Amino acid sequence: MVTRLRCLPFSSIDQGMVLGAPLTVPEQGVVSFVLPAGHELTESNLRQMAVRQAEYACVCEEDSRSDEVREMEWAASEKRLQEIFRLADLSQPALAGLYGAVLRLRKS
Amino acid sequence: MPGQLSRQEVVEQTGLLPAFPRVIRGILDSLDDDNASTGGLVHLLQQDPVITGRVIALASSAAVSLRPGAAVHSLAGATSMIGLAKVREIVLNVGVAEFARDSQMSSCFWEHSAAVGVAAQELARHSHVSLDYALISGLLHDIGQLWMARFYPAEFHAVHCLVADGSTDIIKAEQEQFGTDHCWVGSVIAESWGLPAGVVAAIRFHHHPGAGQGEKLVSVVHVAEVLANALDLTPRRDNQVTDLSAVACEALGLDWEADMNYLFAKIEARSSHACAVFRQ
Repeated sequence: MVTRLRCLPFSSIDQGMVLGAPLTVPEQGVVSFVLPAGHELTESNLRQMAVRQAEYACVCEEDSRSDEVREMEWAASEKRLQEIFRLADLSQPALAGLYGAVLRLRKS
Repeated sequence: MPGQLSRQEVVEQTGLLPAFPRVIRGILDSLDDDNASTGGLVHLLQQDPVITGRVIALASSAAVSLRPGAAVHSLAGATSMIGLAKVREIVLNVGVAEFARDSQMSSCFWEHSAAVGVAAQELARHSHVSLDYALISGLLHDIGQLWMARFYPAEFHAVHCLVADGSTDIIKAEQEQFGTDHCWVGSVIAESWGLPAGVVAAIRFHHHPGAGQGEKLVSVVHVAEVLANALDLTPRRDNQVTDLSAVACEALGLDWEADMNYLFAKIEARSSHACAVFRQ
């Protein structure tokens, strides 16, 4: 099974999702709520996260897209990125580096 | 046509904007105070019942979802549940959101500000810069645009038309219309509100961090705004990256060849969460 890591805002997190990275939520300024990568989120976990004002979580999701759909999505993302950077001088190392880093995110 | 804007005009007109929440300045002033406590925050917030009410409501709704009947009724209760640092962060966000509501600027403008605030916090986390300073600087970095839109709507519209057709960048277009730019106007406003010097500098130099005299907060806000545009954090057709200061990247120790996926994805998720405050 092909999977992918996604960080989602708290409002998009549902029970049954599997954490792709450890979840740590500070309480009283110290880390107090920790769940390991691979943990399947329960309704109780979600309530605990809400109380501690959790903002996001990284989950591991099955990537059920076909190769064709994946390629199409990547192409659309790259096109949008080119539009955002259309006035940027990509011969400058900082700009080229950022462009490449965002492109790698979109293709992950 | 305003010609060359003067500091005096900006300050005088700023008095006609909605009142800026005093609690925000109070929080920022107390950051360097080792004796800052929950009691101090409660005292500050007593001056602003609207913001206090929203903070308690946020903490309370979460508590009730865990245990019916466990509502939070006081700021002290909210602080004991989620911690002083988190309450302070919520107060800063909610304070600016209240100001945003009264300012009648589009939600798109404030969502971009919220996204830059989140990105600034995440960059600050790795750069030993105060997270609260980073958040408020990000939230207010374009406050000069709000002033321009409020007092010179025709010229402000003309600036955005020039930028939208790709013929020039925003700083040049503003120079043409106003004789100065939103960064300078914003810094005058921030100064008149009594915000800390670092925050004023971040607003003043976020398009030209090289002029920021080594203030790291300037680099944080500059890179945060570039990231907000590069990552398309808010649904604006005109998100554009034209410039990125190598000096600012170096000051923050950023290496774009390293794996940035987790940092970027975290900024995207947190930004989406934060923007909701400005849609309520």
